[in-house]
Amino acid sequence: MMAQATTTVRGQALATAWLAPAARAALMLLAVVAILLLFLAPVVILVITSLRPGWAVYYIYRGTAFTLQNYLDVFAKPAVVRAFINSFVLATLATIISLGITVTSGYMLSRFSGPIPRAWFGTIYLFRTVPYISWVLPLYLVDYYFGIYDTYAGILLPHIAVHICFFSWIMKGFFDSIDPSMEHAAMIDGCTRWGAFVRVALPSAIPAIAALAILSWLYTWNEFLFALILTGHDTALITVTMAQFVTELGTQWNLMSAMAVLAMGPAVLVTVFAQKYIIQGLRI
Amino acid sequence: MLLLIAPAAAVLVLFQILPIVIGANASFRDWQLFNPKETWVGLAHYSYILTDRVFLTLVLPNTFLLMFASVAISLGLGLGLAHVLNRNFPGHGLAQTVILLPQMIAPVIAATSMRWTFNDQFGVVAALLRWIGFGQIAWLAERWPSFLIILFTDVWIWTPWFTLILLAALKSLPREPFEAAQIDAAGRWRTFTHVTLPMLRPVIGVCVLIRSIDAFRTFDQVWVLTGGGPARTTEVFSIYAYIETFVNLDFGRGSAAAIIGALIILVVAWTMYKAVDRLTNVSR
Repeated sequence: MMAQATTTVRGQALATAWLAPAARAALMLLAVVAILLLFLAPVVILVITSLRPGWAVYYIYRGTAFTLQNYLDVFAKPAVVRAFINSFVLATLATIISLGITVTSGYMLSRFSGPIPRAWFGTIYLFRTVPYISWVLPLYLVDYYFGIYDTYAGILLPHIAVHICFFSWIMKGFFDSIDPSMEHAAMIDGCTRWGAFVRVALPSAIPAIAALAILSWLYTWNEFLFALILTGHDTALITVTMAQFVTELGTQWNLMSAMAVLAMGPAVLVTVFAQKYIIQGLRI
Repeated sequence: MLLLIAPAAAVLVLFQILPIVIGANASFRDWQLFNPKETWVGLAHYSYILTDRVFLTLVLPNTFLLMFASVAISLGLGLGLAHVLNRNFPGHGLAQTVILLPQMIAPVIAATSMRWTFNDQFGVVAALLRWIGFGQIAWLAERWPSFLIILFTDVWIWTPWFTLILLAALKSLPREPFEAAQIDAAGRWRTFTHVTLPMLRPVIGVCVLIRSIDAFRTFDQVWVLTGGGPARTTEVFSIYAYIETFVNLDFGRGSAAAIIGALIILVVAWTMYKAVDRLTNVSR
Protein backbone atom coordinates (compact mmCIF):
# COMPACT_ATOMS: atom_id res chain seq x y z
CA MET A 1 0.00 0.00 0.00
CA MET A 2 2.69 2.43 1.09
CA ALA A 3 4.85 1.39 -1.77
CA GLN A 4 2.02 1.93 -4.22
CA ALA A 5 1.39 5.50 -2.94
CA THR A 6 5.02 6.44 -3.28
CA THR A 7 5.17 5.22 -6.83
CA THR A 8 2.09 7.27 -7.80
CA VAL A 9 3.55 10.39 -6.20
CA ARG A 10 6.84 9.77 -7.87
CA GLY A 11 5.00 9.17 -11.15
CA GLN A 12 3.19 12.51 -10.85
CA ALA A 13 6.37 14.35 -9.97
CA LEU A 14 8.03 12.78 -12.99
CA ALA A 15 5.16 13.83 -15.24
CA THR A 16 5.23 17.49 -14.16
CA ALA A 17 8.99 17.55 -14.19
CA TRP A 18 8.90 16.26 -17.71
CA LEU A 19 6.04 18.49 -18.85
CA ALA A 20 7.40 21.75 -17.49
CA PRO A 21 10.63 21.74 -19.50
CA ALA A 22 8.71 20.71 -22.60
CA ALA A 23 6.28 23.63 -22.20
CA ARG A 24 9.14 25.98 -21.49
CA ALA A 25 11.03 24.73 -24.51
CA ALA A 26 7.95 25.22 -26.67
CA LEU A 27 7.49 28.75 -25.36
CA MET A 28 11.13 29.51 -25.94
CA LEU A 29 10.96 28.13 -29.47
CA LEU A 30 7.90 30.28 -30.16
CA ALA A 31 9.69 33.40 -28.91
CA VAL A 32 12.76 32.59 -30.99
CA VAL A 33 10.66 32.04 -34.12
CA ALA A 34 8.83 35.35 -33.55
CA ILE A 35 12.11 37.24 -33.16
CA LEU A 36 13.60 35.60 -36.24
CA LEU A 37 10.52 36.51 -38.28
CA LEU A 38 10.90 40.11 -37.16
CA PHE A 39 14.54 40.08 -38.24
CA LEU A 40 13.70 38.48 -41.56
CA ALA A 41 10.60 40.54 -42.34
CA PRO A 42 12.21 43.44 -44.24
CA VAL A 43 14.18 41.00 -46.39
CA VAL A 44 11.16 38.79 -47.05
CA ILE A 45 9.00 41.79 -47.95
CA LEU A 46 11.63 42.94 -50.46
CA VAL A 47 11.90 39.48 -52.01
CA ILE A 48 8.12 39.11 -52.35
CA THR A 49 7.78 42.61 -53.80
CA SER A 50 10.53 41.90 -56.33
CA LEU A 51 8.62 38.85 -57.56
CA ARG A 52 5.32 40.65 -58.12
CA PRO A 53 4.28 41.94 -61.53
CA GLY A 54 3.92 45.73 -61.76
CA TRP A 55 0.11 45.70 -61.56
CA ALA A 56 0.04 43.54 -58.42
CA VAL A 57 2.80 45.23 -56.48
CA TYR A 58 0.53 47.41 -54.36
CA TYR A 59 -1.01 44.61 -52.35
CA ILE A 60 1.87 42.23 -51.96
CA TYR A 61 0.06 40.23 -49.28
CA ARG A 62 -2.87 39.54 -51.59
CA GLY A 63 -3.03 37.44 -54.75
CA THR A 64 -0.67 34.84 -56.13
CA ALA A 65 0.69 36.40 -59.32
CA PHE A 66 4.46 36.02 -59.38
CA THR A 67 6.99 36.75 -62.09
CA LEU A 68 10.72 37.07 -62.72
CA GLN A 69 10.10 39.88 -65.22
CA ASN A 70 11.30 42.57 -62.76
CA TYR A 71 14.77 41.06 -62.70
CA LEU A 72 14.91 40.99 -66.51
CA ASP A 73 13.68 44.60 -66.64
CA VAL A 74 16.29 45.74 -64.14
CA PHE A 75 19.09 44.04 -66.05
CA ALA A 76 17.85 45.58 -69.29
CA LYS A 77 18.84 49.00 -67.91
CA PRO A 78 22.47 49.75 -68.87
CA ALA A 79 22.78 52.13 -65.90
CA VAL A 80 22.00 49.33 -63.45
CA VAL A 81 24.44 46.90 -65.02
CA ARG A 82 27.15 49.56 -65.01
CA ALA A 83 26.44 50.33 -61.35
CA PHE A 84 26.89 46.67 -60.43
CA ILE A 85 30.18 46.46 -62.33
CA ASN A 86 31.42 49.71 -60.77
CA SER A 87 30.53 48.61 -57.25
CA PHE A 88 32.19 45.24 -57.78
CA VAL A 89 35.42 46.72 -59.10
CA LEU A 90 35.51 49.40 -56.41
CA ALA A 91 34.85 47.00 -53.52
CA THR A 92 37.48 44.55 -54.75
CA LEU A 93 40.19 47.15 -55.37
CA ALA A 94 39.47 49.02 -52.13
CA THR A 95 39.70 45.79 -50.13
CA ILE A 96 42.96 44.61 -51.66
CA ILE A 97 44.72 47.96 -51.45
CA SER A 98 43.54 48.98 -48.01
CA LEU A 99 44.41 45.60 -46.52
CA GLY A 100 47.79 45.78 -48.24
CA ILE A 101 48.72 49.11 -46.73
CA THR A 102 47.18 48.62 -43.28
CA VAL A 103 48.76 45.23 -42.65
CA THR A 104 52.20 46.82 -42.44
CA SER A 105 50.83 49.74 -40.47
CA GLY A 106 49.19 47.38 -37.95
CA TYR A 107 52.39 45.36 -37.70
CA MET A 108 54.39 48.49 -37.01
CA LEU A 109 51.94 49.54 -34.27
CA SER A 110 52.13 46.12 -32.67
CA ARG A 111 55.89 45.50 -32.76
CA PHE A 112 57.59 48.87 -32.41
CA SER A 113 57.48 51.35 -29.57
CA GLY A 114 58.62 54.94 -29.28
CA PRO A 115 57.31 58.36 -30.18
CA ILE A 116 56.53 57.65 -33.86
CA PRO A 117 54.26 54.62 -33.32
CA ARG A 118 52.64 56.43 -30.40
CA ALA A 119 51.95 59.49 -32.58
CA TRP A 120 50.61 57.29 -35.38
CA PHE A 121 48.33 55.43 -32.99
CA GLY A 122 47.05 58.73 -31.57
CA THR A 123 46.33 60.03 -35.07
CA ILE A 124 44.41 56.89 -35.97
CA TYR A 125 42.45 56.98 -32.74
CA LEU A 126 41.53 60.64 -33.22
CA PHE A 127 40.50 60.37 -36.87
CA ARG A 128 38.38 57.31 -36.21
CA THR A 129 36.11 59.64 -34.23
CA VAL A 130 35.72 62.41 -36.84
CA PRO A 131 32.29 62.06 -38.49
CA TYR A 132 32.48 61.12 -42.20
CA ILE A 133 30.47 64.14 -43.26
CA SER A 134 33.15 66.47 -41.85
CA TRP A 135 35.75 65.36 -44.36
CA VAL A 136 33.67 64.08 -47.24
CA LEU A 137 32.23 67.54 -47.92
CA PRO A 138 35.64 69.13 -48.64
CA LEU A 139 36.77 65.88 -50.25
CA TYR A 140 34.44 66.82 -53.07
CA LEU A 141 36.66 69.86 -53.72
CA VAL A 142 39.88 67.86 -53.27
CA ASP A 143 38.68 65.45 -55.95
CA TYR A 144 38.02 68.42 -58.21
CA TYR A 145 41.48 69.95 -57.61
CA PHE A 146 43.16 66.64 -58.40
CA GLY A 147 40.92 66.20 -61.44
CA ILE A 148 39.67 62.83 -60.23
CA TYR A 149 36.02 63.66 -59.49
CA ASP A 150 33.75 60.98 -60.96
CA THR A 151 36.62 58.63 -61.74
CA TYR A 152 37.51 55.34 -60.06
CA ALA A 153 40.45 56.97 -58.27
CA GLY A 154 38.19 59.71 -56.93
CA ILE A 155 36.05 57.25 -54.98
CA LEU A 156 38.68 54.54 -54.42
CA LEU A 157 41.26 56.66 -52.58
CA PRO A 158 38.75 58.13 -50.09
CA HIS A 159 37.45 54.62 -49.40
CA ILE A 160 40.98 53.47 -48.63
CA ALA A 161 41.39 56.49 -46.35
CA VAL A 162 38.22 55.46 -44.45
CA HIS A 163 39.62 52.01 -43.84
CA ILE A 164 43.10 53.06 -42.72
CA CYS A 165 42.23 54.08 -39.16
CA PHE A 166 39.93 51.21 -38.31
CA PHE A 167 41.94 48.50 -40.07
CA SER A 168 45.30 49.57 -38.64
CA TRP A 169 43.73 49.35 -35.24
CA ILE A 170 42.26 45.88 -35.89
CA MET A 171 45.46 44.59 -37.53
CA LYS A 172 47.41 45.75 -34.49
CA GLY A 173 45.11 43.50 -32.46
CA PHE A 174 45.79 40.56 -34.80
CA PHE A 175 49.56 40.92 -34.45
CA ASP A 176 49.32 41.54 -30.70
CA SER A 177 47.81 38.08 -30.33
CA ILE A 178 50.72 36.44 -32.23
CA ASP A 179 53.76 35.60 -30.16
CA PRO A 180 56.72 37.69 -31.41
CA SER A 181 59.34 35.18 -30.18
CA MET A 182 59.07 33.23 -33.46
CA GLU A 183 60.08 36.36 -35.36
CA HIS A 184 62.98 36.99 -32.99
CA ALA A 185 64.14 33.43 -33.61
CA ALA A 186 63.90 33.98 -37.36
CA MET A 187 65.93 37.18 -37.07
CA ILE A 188 68.61 35.46 -35.02
CA ASP A 189 68.81 32.86 -37.78
CA GLY A 190 69.62 35.62 -40.25
CA CYS A 191 66.22 36.82 -41.41
CA THR A 192 65.79 40.55 -41.87
CA ARG A 193 62.97 42.34 -40.03
CA TRP A 194 61.05 42.45 -43.31
CA GLY A 195 61.71 38.74 -43.88
CA ALA A 196 60.49 37.95 -40.38
CA PHE A 197 57.32 39.88 -41.08
CA VAL A 198 56.61 38.30 -44.48
CA ARG A 199 57.66 34.72 -43.65
CA VAL A 200 56.67 34.37 -40.00
CA ALA A 201 54.16 36.93 -38.77
CA LEU A 202 52.08 37.38 -41.92
CA PRO A 203 51.17 33.69 -42.47
CA SER A 204 49.86 33.42 -38.89
CA ALA A 205 47.68 36.48 -39.40
CA ILE A 206 46.12 35.28 -42.67
CA PRO A 207 42.86 33.82 -41.22
CA ALA A 208 42.11 37.02 -39.34
CA ILE A 209 42.96 39.10 -42.41
CA ALA A 210 40.60 36.97 -44.52
CA ALA A 211 37.77 37.73 -42.10
CA LEU A 212 38.56 41.42 -42.30
CA ALA A 213 38.70 41.22 -46.12
CA ILE A 214 35.14 39.91 -46.29
CA LEU A 215 33.84 42.67 -44.03
CA SER A 216 35.81 45.32 -45.90
CA TRP A 217 34.44 44.19 -49.25
CA LEU A 218 30.85 44.22 -48.00
CA TYR A 219 31.33 47.56 -46.29
CA THR A 220 32.49 49.21 -49.53
CA TRP A 221 29.74 47.47 -51.51
CA ASN A 222 27.13 48.80 -49.05
CA GLU A 223 28.52 52.32 -48.58
CA PHE A 224 26.24 55.24 -49.46
CA LEU A 225 27.41 58.69 -48.29
CA PHE A 226 30.72 58.71 -50.17
CA ALA A 227 29.05 57.34 -53.27
CA LEU A 228 26.38 60.02 -53.05
CA ILE A 229 28.86 62.90 -52.90
CA LEU A 230 31.91 61.67 -54.82
CA THR A 231 30.42 59.83 -57.79
CA GLY A 232 28.55 61.16 -60.77
CA HIS A 233 27.25 59.68 -63.95
CA ASP A 234 30.41 57.79 -64.95
CA THR A 235 31.09 55.90 -61.74
CA ALA A 236 27.56 55.49 -60.35
CA LEU A 237 27.42 52.79 -57.64
CA ILE A 238 24.58 50.44 -56.73
CA THR A 239 23.50 52.12 -53.49
CA VAL A 240 23.05 55.51 -55.15
CA THR A 241 21.47 54.07 -58.28
CA MET A 242 19.02 52.19 -56.10
CA ALA A 243 18.16 55.20 -54.00
CA GLN A 244 17.39 57.07 -57.22
CA PHE A 245 14.64 54.58 -57.98
CA VAL A 246 12.83 55.91 -54.92
CA THR A 247 12.67 59.50 -56.06
CA GLU A 248 12.62 59.34 -59.83
CA LEU A 249 10.54 56.22 -60.27
CA GLY A 250 8.75 56.49 -56.94
CA THR A 251 6.00 54.15 -58.01
CA GLN A 252 8.13 51.31 -59.38
CA TRP A 253 8.59 49.47 -56.12
CA ASN A 254 8.79 46.13 -57.91
CA LEU A 255 11.87 47.13 -59.96
CA MET A 256 13.52 48.79 -57.00
CA SER A 257 13.00 45.70 -54.87
CA ALA A 258 14.49 43.52 -57.59
CA MET A 259 17.57 45.70 -57.63
CA ALA A 260 17.73 45.69 -53.83
CA VAL A 261 17.50 41.89 -53.74
CA LEU A 262 20.33 41.62 -56.28
CA ALA A 263 22.37 44.14 -54.32
CA MET A 264 22.03 42.18 -51.10
CA GLY A 265 23.00 38.94 -52.82
CA PRO A 266 26.65 39.04 -51.72
CA ALA A 267 25.61 39.87 -48.16
CA VAL A 268 23.29 36.86 -48.01
CA LEU A 269 25.87 34.53 -49.58
CA VAL A 270 28.53 35.65 -47.13
CA THR A 271 26.17 35.38 -44.16
CA VAL A 272 25.22 31.83 -45.05
CA PHE A 273 28.59 30.47 -46.15
CA ALA A 274 31.24 32.53 -44.37
CA GLN A 275 29.49 33.11 -41.07
CA LYS A 276 32.35 31.87 -38.94
CA TYR A 277 34.78 34.31 -40.53
CA ILE A 278 32.43 37.25 -40.14
CA ILE A 279 31.69 36.61 -36.49
CA GLN A 280 35.40 36.41 -35.87
CA GLY A 281 35.92 39.66 -37.77
CA LEU A 282 33.13 41.53 -36.01
CA ARG A 283 34.72 40.99 -32.60
CA ILE A 284 36.51 44.18 -31.83
CA MET B 1 59.78 51.51 -39.52
CA LEU B 2 58.53 54.65 -41.26
CA LEU B 3 58.36 52.73 -44.51
CA LEU B 4 55.76 50.42 -42.99
CA ILE B 5 53.29 53.25 -42.46
CA ALA B 6 54.32 55.44 -45.40
CA PRO B 7 51.55 54.39 -47.85
CA ALA B 8 48.86 54.48 -45.18
CA ALA B 9 50.07 57.83 -43.90
CA ALA B 10 50.18 59.31 -47.41
CA VAL B 11 46.58 58.35 -48.17
CA LEU B 12 45.48 59.51 -44.73
CA VAL B 13 47.10 62.90 -45.16
CA LEU B 14 45.84 63.50 -48.71
CA PHE B 15 42.31 62.20 -48.36
CA GLN B 16 41.42 62.75 -44.73
CA ILE B 17 43.62 65.37 -43.11
CA LEU B 18 43.90 67.67 -46.13
CA PRO B 19 40.10 67.75 -46.61
CA ILE B 20 39.58 68.54 -42.94
CA VAL B 21 42.05 71.44 -43.21
CA ILE B 22 40.31 72.71 -46.36
CA GLY B 23 36.96 72.39 -44.62
CA ALA B 24 38.19 74.25 -41.56
CA ASN B 25 39.56 77.00 -43.79
CA ALA B 26 36.31 77.23 -45.76
CA SER B 27 34.26 77.47 -42.59
CA PHE B 28 35.72 80.96 -42.00
CA ARG B 29 35.03 82.19 -45.54
CA ASP B 30 32.16 83.25 -47.77
CA TRP B 31 32.31 80.20 -50.01
CA GLN B 32 29.25 79.44 -52.11
CA LEU B 33 29.86 76.18 -53.94
CA PHE B 34 29.46 77.74 -57.37
CA ASN B 35 30.54 81.27 -56.44
CA PRO B 36 33.67 80.83 -54.32
CA LYS B 37 34.55 84.43 -53.38
CA GLU B 38 36.58 83.00 -50.52
CA THR B 39 36.50 86.28 -48.59
CA TRP B 40 37.23 85.99 -44.89
CA VAL B 41 34.09 86.28 -42.76
CA GLY B 42 35.52 85.11 -39.45
CA LEU B 43 33.09 83.32 -37.16
CA ALA B 44 29.97 84.47 -39.02
CA HIS B 45 29.01 80.92 -40.12
CA TYR B 46 29.59 79.57 -36.63
CA SER B 47 27.44 82.21 -34.98
CA TYR B 48 24.74 81.67 -37.62
CA ILE B 49 24.59 77.93 -36.95
CA LEU B 50 24.83 78.23 -33.19
CA THR B 51 21.85 80.58 -33.21
CA ASP B 52 19.93 78.72 -35.92
CA ARG B 53 16.62 77.57 -34.44
CA VAL B 54 16.56 74.49 -36.67
CA PHE B 55 20.01 73.44 -35.50
CA LEU B 56 19.33 74.07 -31.82
CA THR B 57 15.76 72.87 -31.45
CA LEU B 58 15.61 70.09 -34.04
CA VAL B 59 19.00 68.88 -35.27
CA LEU B 60 20.86 68.58 -31.97
CA PRO B 61 17.98 67.00 -30.01
CA ASN B 62 17.27 64.59 -32.89
CA THR B 63 20.91 63.57 -33.20
CA PHE B 64 21.36 62.86 -29.50
CA LEU B 65 17.94 61.26 -29.10
CA LEU B 66 18.61 58.90 -32.01
CA MET B 67 22.08 58.13 -30.67
CA PHE B 68 20.89 57.49 -27.13
CA ALA B 69 17.71 55.58 -27.98
CA SER B 70 19.31 53.46 -30.70
CA VAL B 71 22.29 52.47 -28.56
CA ALA B 72 20.16 51.78 -25.47
CA ILE B 73 17.53 49.69 -27.27
CA SER B 74 19.95 47.69 -29.40
CA LEU B 75 22.13 47.05 -26.35
CA GLY B 76 19.12 45.77 -24.38
CA LEU B 77 17.86 43.57 -27.22
CA GLY B 78 21.39 42.40 -28.01
CA LEU B 79 21.95 41.34 -24.40
CA GLY B 80 18.68 39.40 -24.40
CA LEU B 81 19.35 37.70 -27.73
CA ALA B 82 22.93 36.86 -26.80
CA HIS B 83 21.59 35.22 -23.65
CA VAL B 84 19.12 33.15 -25.64
CA LEU B 85 21.70 32.16 -28.26
CA ASN B 86 24.15 31.16 -25.56
CA ARG B 87 22.00 28.09 -24.83
CA ASN B 88 21.59 25.14 -27.08
CA PHE B 89 18.29 24.62 -28.82
CA PRO B 90 17.23 23.13 -32.15
CA GLY B 91 17.78 25.60 -34.99
CA HIS B 92 20.55 27.39 -33.14
CA GLY B 93 22.71 27.79 -36.25
CA LEU B 94 19.81 29.02 -38.36
CA ALA B 95 18.89 31.58 -35.70
CA GLN B 96 22.42 32.93 -35.70
CA THR B 97 22.44 33.24 -39.49
CA VAL B 98 19.16 35.15 -39.50
CA ILE B 99 20.29 37.48 -36.72
CA LEU B 100 23.53 38.20 -38.56
CA LEU B 101 21.76 39.22 -41.76
CA PRO B 102 20.69 42.82 -40.91
CA GLN B 103 24.29 43.71 -40.11
CA MET B 104 25.50 42.58 -43.53
CA ILE B 105 22.82 44.23 -45.67
CA ALA B 106 23.39 47.82 -46.82
CA PRO B 107 21.64 50.37 -44.57
CA VAL B 108 20.24 51.91 -47.74
CA ILE B 109 18.53 48.63 -48.62
CA ALA B 110 17.21 48.22 -45.08
CA ALA B 111 15.85 51.76 -45.12
CA THR B 112 14.29 51.23 -48.55
CA SER B 113 12.54 48.12 -47.35
CA MET B 114 11.28 49.91 -44.23
CA ARG B 115 10.03 52.79 -46.34
CA TRP B 116 8.01 50.35 -48.39
CA THR B 117 6.84 48.37 -45.35
CA PHE B 118 5.60 51.55 -43.67
CA ASN B 119 4.12 53.05 -46.84
CA ASP B 120 0.90 54.66 -45.60
CA GLN B 121 -1.33 53.17 -48.32
CA PHE B 122 0.23 50.01 -49.65
CA GLY B 123 2.65 49.00 -46.92
CA VAL B 124 2.32 45.77 -44.98
CA VAL B 125 2.08 47.60 -41.65
CA ALA B 126 -0.71 49.84 -42.93
CA ALA B 127 -2.60 46.74 -44.09
CA LEU B 128 -2.08 45.12 -40.71
CA LEU B 129 -3.38 48.22 -38.92
CA ARG B 130 -6.41 48.41 -41.21
CA TRP B 131 -7.10 44.76 -40.52
CA ILE B 132 -6.99 45.36 -36.76
CA GLY B 133 -9.30 48.33 -37.21
CA PHE B 134 -7.09 51.39 -36.98
CA GLY B 135 -7.48 54.06 -39.61
CA GLN B 136 -4.84 55.06 -42.09
CA ILE B 137 -1.78 56.72 -40.57
CA ALA B 138 0.45 58.94 -42.69
CA TRP B 139 3.60 57.66 -40.97
CA LEU B 140 6.18 59.62 -42.86
CA ALA B 141 4.21 62.87 -42.88
CA GLU B 142 4.54 63.47 -39.15
CA ARG B 143 7.54 64.02 -36.95
CA TRP B 144 7.39 61.35 -34.28
CA PRO B 145 6.14 58.45 -36.40
CA SER B 146 8.92 59.25 -38.90
CA PHE B 147 11.43 59.41 -36.10
CA LEU B 148 10.22 56.09 -34.69
CA ILE B 149 10.61 54.42 -38.07
CA ILE B 150 14.17 55.76 -38.36
CA LEU B 151 14.89 54.51 -34.84
CA PHE B 152 13.32 51.12 -35.60
CA THR B 153 15.47 50.76 -38.74
CA ASP B 154 18.61 51.70 -36.86
CA VAL B 155 17.83 49.23 -34.08
CA TRP B 156 17.14 46.53 -36.67
CA ILE B 157 20.53 47.14 -38.27
CA TRP B 158 22.59 47.36 -35.08
CA THR B 159 21.05 44.84 -32.67
CA PRO B 160 22.94 42.00 -34.43
CA TRP B 161 26.25 43.71 -33.81
CA PHE B 162 25.62 43.92 -30.06
CA THR B 163 24.26 40.36 -30.05
CA LEU B 164 27.33 38.85 -31.72
CA ILE B 165 29.90 40.69 -29.64
CA LEU B 166 28.06 40.03 -26.37
CA LEU B 167 27.55 36.39 -27.35
CA ALA B 168 31.27 36.00 -27.92
CA ALA B 169 31.90 37.69 -24.55
CA LEU B 170 29.37 35.44 -22.78
CA LYS B 171 31.02 32.33 -24.21
CA SER B 172 34.42 33.41 -22.97
CA LEU B 173 33.27 34.00 -19.36
CA PRO B 174 34.65 31.58 -16.74
CA ARG B 175 32.22 28.91 -15.44
CA GLU B 176 33.12 29.10 -11.74
CA PRO B 177 31.20 32.26 -10.72
CA PHE B 178 28.01 30.80 -12.25
CA GLU B 179 28.48 27.52 -10.39
CA ALA B 180 29.09 29.46 -7.19
CA ALA B 181 25.88 31.43 -7.76
CA GLN B 182 23.99 28.20 -8.36
CA ILE B 183 25.31 26.71 -5.12
CA ASP B 184 24.21 29.84 -3.29
CA ALA B 185 20.75 29.27 -4.82
CA ALA B 186 20.67 32.54 -6.72
CA GLY B 187 17.75 32.79 -9.13
CA ARG B 188 18.22 33.35 -12.82
CA TRP B 189 17.58 37.09 -12.65
CA ARG B 190 19.90 37.59 -9.69
CA THR B 191 22.60 35.58 -11.43
CA PHE B 192 22.20 37.80 -14.46
CA THR B 193 22.30 41.12 -12.58
CA HIS B 194 24.92 40.16 -10.01
CA VAL B 195 27.23 37.82 -11.92
CA THR B 196 26.82 38.15 -15.69
CA LEU B 197 26.39 41.91 -15.99
CA PRO B 198 29.36 42.92 -13.82
CA MET B 199 31.61 40.54 -15.76
CA LEU B 200 30.35 41.89 -19.09
CA ARG B 201 30.75 45.52 -18.04
CA PRO B 202 34.07 46.20 -19.83
CA VAL B 203 32.78 44.74 -23.12
CA ILE B 204 29.50 46.63 -22.85
CA GLY B 205 31.40 49.84 -22.14
CA VAL B 206 33.59 49.53 -25.24
CA CYS B 207 30.60 48.54 -27.41
CA VAL B 208 28.57 51.52 -26.25
CA LEU B 209 31.49 53.88 -26.87
CA ILE B 210 32.18 52.66 -30.43
CA ARG B 211 28.53 52.46 -31.35
CA SER B 212 27.74 55.93 -29.94
CA ILE B 213 30.46 57.53 -32.04
CA ASP B 214 29.04 55.82 -35.13
CA ALA B 215 25.42 56.59 -34.25
CA PHE B 216 26.23 60.29 -34.02
CA ARG B 217 27.03 60.39 -37.74
CA THR B 218 24.02 58.37 -38.96
CA PHE B 219 23.19 59.45 -42.50
CA ASP B 220 22.06 56.68 -44.87
CA GLN B 221 18.90 55.52 -43.11
CA VAL B 222 17.64 59.03 -42.39
CA TRP B 223 18.38 60.23 -45.90
CA VAL B 224 16.51 57.37 -47.57
CA LEU B 225 13.61 57.23 -45.11
CA THR B 226 12.74 60.90 -44.65
CA GLY B 227 15.54 63.06 -46.08
CA GLY B 228 15.28 64.98 -42.80
CA GLY B 229 11.61 65.78 -43.38
CA PRO B 230 8.78 66.39 -42.91
CA ALA B 231 9.69 70.09 -42.68
CA ARG B 232 13.21 69.34 -41.34
CA THR B 233 11.80 67.77 -38.15
CA THR B 234 13.85 64.58 -38.37
CA GLU B 235 17.09 66.18 -39.51
CA VAL B 236 20.22 64.89 -37.79
CA PHE B 237 23.65 66.48 -37.80
CA SER B 238 25.02 64.75 -40.93
CA ILE B 239 21.89 65.61 -42.93
CA TYR B 240 22.06 69.25 -41.77
CA ALA B 241 25.66 69.64 -42.98
CA TYR B 242 24.84 67.86 -46.25
CA ILE B 243 21.79 70.04 -46.94
CA GLU B 244 23.67 73.27 -46.17
CA THR B 245 26.40 72.25 -48.63
CA PHE B 246 24.69 70.46 -51.49
CA VAL B 247 21.12 71.75 -51.36
CA ASN B 248 21.72 75.34 -50.24
CA LEU B 249 25.11 75.19 -52.03
CA ASP B 250 26.82 77.06 -49.19
CA PHE B 251 30.12 75.27 -48.73
CA GLY B 252 31.31 77.68 -46.03
CA ARG B 253 28.29 77.20 -43.81
CA GLY B 254 28.16 73.46 -44.44
CA SER B 255 31.81 73.16 -43.44
CA ALA B 256 31.19 75.16 -40.28
CA ALA B 257 28.33 72.78 -39.42
CA ALA B 258 30.59 69.79 -40.07
CA ILE B 259 33.34 71.22 -37.84
CA ILE B 260 30.88 72.01 -35.03
CA GLY B 261 29.57 68.44 -35.21
CA ALA B 262 33.08 66.98 -35.19
CA LEU B 263 34.00 69.06 -32.12
CA ILE B 264 30.81 68.01 -30.30
CA ILE B 265 31.40 64.30 -30.90
CA LEU B 266 35.08 64.61 -29.93
CA VAL B 267 34.07 66.08 -26.57
CA VAL B 268 31.28 63.51 -26.08
CA ALA B 269 33.55 60.61 -27.09
CA TRP B 270 36.32 61.82 -24.78
CA THR B 271 33.92 62.06 -21.82
CA MET B 272 32.51 58.62 -22.55
CA TYR B 273 36.00 57.19 -22.99
CA LYS B 274 36.92 58.44 -19.51
CA ALA B 275 33.70 57.00 -18.08
CA VAL B 276 34.26 53.63 -19.74
CA ASP B 277 37.83 53.59 -18.52
CA ARG B 278 36.65 54.13 -14.95
CA LEU B 279 33.93 51.48 -15.26
CA THR B 280 36.44 48.97 -16.58
CA ASN B 281 38.90 49.68 -13.81
CA VAL B 282 36.26 49.52 -11.09
CA SER B 283 35.16 46.06 -12.18
CA ARG B 284 38.69 44.74 -12.20
